[in-house]
Amino acid sequence: MTGAALWYLNRATGMVALVLMTLTIVLGTTVRRHGRLPGLPRFGVVHMHRNVALLSALLVAGHVVTAVVDSYVDIGATAAVLPFTAGYRPLAVGLGALAVDLALLVLVTSLLRDRLPRRLWAPVHLTSYALWPLAAVHGLTAASDLGGGWLLLLVLACAAATAWASLAALATRRAARPPSERARDAMAESVAAFAAGRPAGRYRNG
Amino acid sequence: MTAASATVALLSAPGPTLADHLATHGPLPPGDAIAVAEEAGLTGRGGGGFPTAVKLRSVAGGRRAPVVVANGSEGEPASAKDAVLLSRAPHLVLDGIALVAGTLGAASAVLAADAARLPELAPHVAERRDRLPVRLHPVAAGYLAGEESALVAALNGRAPVPTSKFPPVRERGVDGRPTLVINVETLARLALLARGDSSAGDRALLTRRLERAGRLWVDVVDAPLSTPLAEWLPLDADVQAVLIGGYAGTWVPARTAARLSLDHSGLAAAGARLGAGVLAALPADRCGLRETARVVHFLAGESAGQCGPCLNGLPRIAAAMDLLARPAPPPPDLLPAVRRWCGLLPGRGACSHPDGTVRLVAGALGVFGPELDRHRAGTCTARVHRAFLPVPRRPR
Ligand SMILES: Cc1cc2nc3c(=O)[nH]c(=O)nc-3n(C[C@H](O)[C@H](O)[C@H](O)COP(=O)(O)O)c2cc1C
Ligand code: SF4
Repeated sequence: MTGAALWYLNRATGMVALVLMTLTIVLGTTVRRHGRLPGLPRFGVVHMHRNVALLSALLVAGHVVTAVVDSYVDIGATAAVLPFTAGYRPLAVGLGALAVDLALLVLVTSLLRDRLPRRLWAPVHLTSYALWPLAAVHGLTAASDLGGGWLLLLVLACAAATAWASLAALATRRAARPPSERARDAMAESVAAFAAGRPAGRYRNG
Repeated sequence: MTAASATVALLSAPGPTLADHLATHGPLPPGDAIAVAEEAGLTGRGGGGFPTAVKLRSVAGGRRAPVVVANGSEGEPASAKDAVLLSRAPHLVLDGIALVAGTLGAASAVLAADAARLPELAPHVAERRDRLPVRLHPVAAGYLAGEESALVAALNGRAPVPTSKFPPVRERGVDGRPTLVINVETLARLALLARGDSSAGDRALLTRRLERAGRLWVDVVDAPLSTPLAEWLPLDADVQAVLIGGYAGTWVPARTAARLSLDHSGLAAAGARLGAGVLAALPADRCGLRETARVVHFLAGESAGQCGPCLNGLPRIAAAMDLLARPAPPPPDLLPAVRRWCGLLPGRGACSHPDGTVRLVAGALGVFGPELDRHRAGTCTARVHRAFLPVPRRPR
């Protein structure tokens, strides 16, 4: 493969991976908030979160492989996973390597989720919030040009989406009541609703 | 709670001490708990009725030595059998623990019971010379605290609420070890079976609840499963229906109950199971819908509020039952809605709490169908407004 093709492939996989990661985070926070997407049952959102995450992992793999294979820039296989050891833009590539490591950790613990204690899985999964900024800064700093600004716009849009989703998740988390109180609230509200002839509401379990 | 009872088998020792126990039953012979349970076809008495031998085998032979947890929680408000057993024959339960722990090569053994019961149990435990000392654990209050994953969570120092069934506690429970959670009555029955009392597996402790001439009567009996239900409850014109099993159980009209025997297939004929061994005879002067509504309120409030079906389904059903329990026409589409909700819940929670509650409601809507009609017409059977089924009022 020619160097130019590799370069384009590397850029494209990186870009699409970032967009998919953004989507993964938005879907993940939707799961967290017990939200739904139009036309999808609630478990559909969970499946979509997982599938989009797997797809973005695949693209990251492609992104790493094309960067390593491309002989124009000096990034070895070790530098792709060992942060800050690359010959080409060590800091920028290092952030990318760090993101790859974190992504691997999140991926492996999620695939083994049923076999791991929740107390291990949950904090590891939360590190995916750190993953996104790492990947984004890596993208902006490692890229040799930003396509005349439209790439920058895309990254900013993704950043806005991620920030909004994270804040929404945080707000829901803070508003969540302890489970036992939730049950009592649901009870009181249902009784009041039925007494007044209103339909009972929906209650969140998280 | 009154606890007068027939003195037979399980409760036949004159007192709770080790001396009384040894004088009545003799020492525990060495034996294999799995073989004993298998031969007797023993089933669990914690409510699920699962074959004990299968359960024992599932924790045996693993890589790590298992933990045995004797479940004396008895979260079921209408049941008193485990409390009576622990106060009358604690050494049968402790024998059962020793037997099972020996067979499984257990790493540790726990007896979990209501905190108020522990001071009375401690001297009995201290009196014994078992290979494995038994640790006493106070169970949190509440209907769910006795569910096996909730109990294991509490023993691991976490909140006493049911947890995910993957992995099950039989694979990873207390301290991450394979864990056998087994009801105290099941253990006591193993202790008798190991002594060659082959009938011990074919009996059950029953908590009977009835009213005679306006007076409440509650007791615990050790009943052969081959006997007719009518032998244990007066099923005359003063009784309209029987609640079989407990609050996760089934209502059966008195006339149907009179034809049933207590064994599995006998009760199954009426869609009922012995469950936690509760038999409550609803007096003719009460409203079955109102009694059920009160219990469902309690059950919905006990939900740990973790799973959507429990949180969205049970309060709604409880609130609807309130309306159906009033002698007034309910909203026109309420009854079909409750029936629909009842169909949606089973199997959807992390534990079977919603399933049990729905069973109670669905049964009540069937058995008390004539009462529903009466309410629609603005009248009600109830002549007495005192509650019959117990519902704890717990400061939380
Ligand atoms: C909501 C719920 C509450 C339960 N409460 C008790 C209880 O109070 N005591 C008990 O022995 N088992 C209780 N169980 C059953 C236990 O989970 C477990 O199956 C039982 O202790 C096993 O003992 P067994 O095999 O001897 O029946 C409960 C189950 C559920 C779903
Ligand atoms: S089904 Fe209900 S009671 Fe059981 S764990 Fe879920 S929320 Fe708790």
